[in-house]
Amino acid sequence: MKIKKKTAPRILPDKNPAPPANVLVRKLPTGVSGLDEIMGGGIPEFSFNIIAGTPGCGKTTLAHQIVFANATVRKPALYFTVLGEPALKMLRHQQQYSFFDSAKVGRAIRFINLGDVVDRQNVNAVLEEIIKQVTAANPSVVVVDSFRTLVRKSATGSDEGEMQSCLQRLAQFLTSWEATTFLVGEYVPEEIRDNPVFTVADGLLWLSQMTERNSVVRKLQIYKLRGQASVPGLHTFRIGDSGLRAFSRTLGLSVKNQPPLRRRQRLSTGIAELDTMMNGGLLQGDSLLVAGPSGTGKSALATQFIAEGLRRGESAIMALFEERPQQYTARADSLGLQLKTPQETGKLEMLYLRPLDLSVDEITQEILDAVKRVGAKRLVIDSLVAFEMALAPGFREDFRESLYRMIVALTGAGVTVLTTVEVEDNFTALQFSHYAISFLTDDIIRLRYVEIDGQLRKVMVVIKMRGGNHSKDIREYVITDKGVVVILPRRTDYNGLITGIPTRAGPRSAQADEAAPEPKATR
Amino acid sequence: MNRVTPQLWKVSERLLAHERRENLTQATRTPAAFLVCEKLRPPLASLMGHTGFRSLLARALALSNTEASWPGTVQVKADGTLAGWDKLEGRISRKDFAEASVVLIARLLGLLMAFIGEELTFRLLREIWPEVTLSPDPTMTEENK
Repeated sequence: MKIKKKTAPRILPDKNPAPPANVLVRKLPTGVSGLDEIMGGGIPEFSFNIIAGTPGCGKTTLAHQIVFANATVRKPALYFTVLGEPALKMLRHQQQYSFFDSAKVGRAIRFINLGDVVDRQNVNAVLEEIIKQVTAANPSVVVVDSFRTLVRKSATGSDEGEMQSCLQRLAQFLTSWEATTFLVGEYVPEEIRDNPVFTVADGLLWLSQMTERNSVVRKLQIYKLRGQASVPGLHTFRIGDSGLRAFSRTLGLSVKNQPPLRRRQRLSTGIAELDTMMNGGLLQGDSLLVAGPSGTGKSALATQFIAEGLRRGESAIMALFEERPQQYTARADSLGLQLKTPQETGKLEMLYLRPLDLSVDEITQEILDAVKRVGAKRLVIDSLVAFEMALAPGFREDFRESLYRMIVALTGAGVTVLTTVEVEDNFTALQFSHYAISFLTDDIIRLRYVEIDGQLRKVMVVIKMRGGNHSKDIREYVITDKGVVVILPRRTDYNGLITGIPTRAGPRSAQADEAAPEPKATR
Repeated sequence: MNRVTPQLWKVSERLLAHERRENLTQATRTPAAFLVCEKLRPPLASLMGHTGFRSLLARALALSNTEASWPGTVQVKADGTLAGWDKLEGRISRKDFAEASVVLIARLLGLLMAFIGEELTFRLLREIWPEVTLSPDPTMTEENK
């Protein structure tokens, strides 16, 4: 009997060999709301990073947030303090933030002071001490705060070559030990070109704060991040009870990421005659600007728009910058529109955004979060003028750009946006807005006062509808206990209605003096 | 500056009693207060540097002088160690020394609590003295000290 020889299995060459897999770079969370997205997903693992900026802009707080977000007992973090804020005070201050978890201190996070080594010895001794501690603790995250003071101190006793050599050794050692490293330091932008530390670093997070008139504007920038694409440009951030919170200038949204609307429905504004003027209503996903002077019923119209959506089962957000939500709800009640119950059931959220010195990205992020939270289909922003007033002066320059990004992103996602803007009535021309913002609106409705028959009455006109045809009629309306009500067909007996001081073109119909035709809501 | 709280007074007494027992076991003559400070020194110096620890202990010593009279011979050295206890003999009674020791340690712990909070302070103490019961006594209030 022949014994079959065992042969090694032949490995056939793959006709279509798969390309070798790229190395997977894990990303560490920053622990800062909004920053992971700005960084392109998080901090690349084992990277060597600089957190730089001027004093008081939040570098140490950012470093702490990163450490607290990542350190575990198995994968601890070492936080080396050098010369700068005394460690006791640093711990005292950082405990005020909600991210501070005292259970991690001493176990998952070890604070080590290198001040004595820096005082008595040279930069090489500091490096040796870091190496000793890292070797013993095997940390996943290492912070040196402040690295700048270490460099300054060493500069008095070492030459630049020695410092650079030390830096290289430190970077190589920490990378080999699989630690993600952050050197915290006070730098000014002019140093980026010549300072070797920026050449060695894989990532450079630059924090800054500028004072403009009475307000402070904080911004961050990812100057450099090897191996992954971050969102370019300056992003605003705020330091609050939960530490830093960053607001991506792209707001995490782009039109191309939104699924296209298959078929856009016409949405009722809640005012039947106005729907007719708009050829059946507002197109879903449109941005409508309602412009008019004070008292012409912009907010009432906005309330009717939201109430109609709620009646049809759509969720909604109202971003209010002038009136308080209670006032808004009370007025809706007086118009027979129920906003209280939808708020209780979560179908409607009213955002009252009045704090000063807000950034436009911060506000838009609040709105976007709320839209996402309730799955809103309708959004009201009341009003643009007050929105701008809530911004720090330094942010007002970005107002139009940010507003554009937000509206494009929201409408692209199918949210229908109604924005109000107050304009002063000019009796020689019809102004739509103080801002050149018509480019960001699909539709414009203009409300205005006109003098007719010895009365100051109100007219409305649909100026523009990007989605199709619309009525060109100028219609008179009143605000009753039912809200905005269009009462008359277009008037042909007057010319120059949009100037506000029309001239009679036809015979005057007899009419008695009357009480105000628009009793104000009593509640 | 507030007076020493009953809670810290109690904790200090326990730490000192523990170190006195250790002293007896090891037949050393170093005062318990000095031993407590020595045990606190390495972790705190690691956190804030020797200079930082020295400053903190010097402040505690200065504060304790307002409530208990330490003879001027006791001082904090540059490395953060206490010195001068060997020159105390005959200058202070045993009872006064024991009380001054409690005040010194309580003051040091009080400073720590003011900076890093009660939770972290007690965690540190438990790590150094795992065998000593340090749980704050809920019945111990300011009134019944």
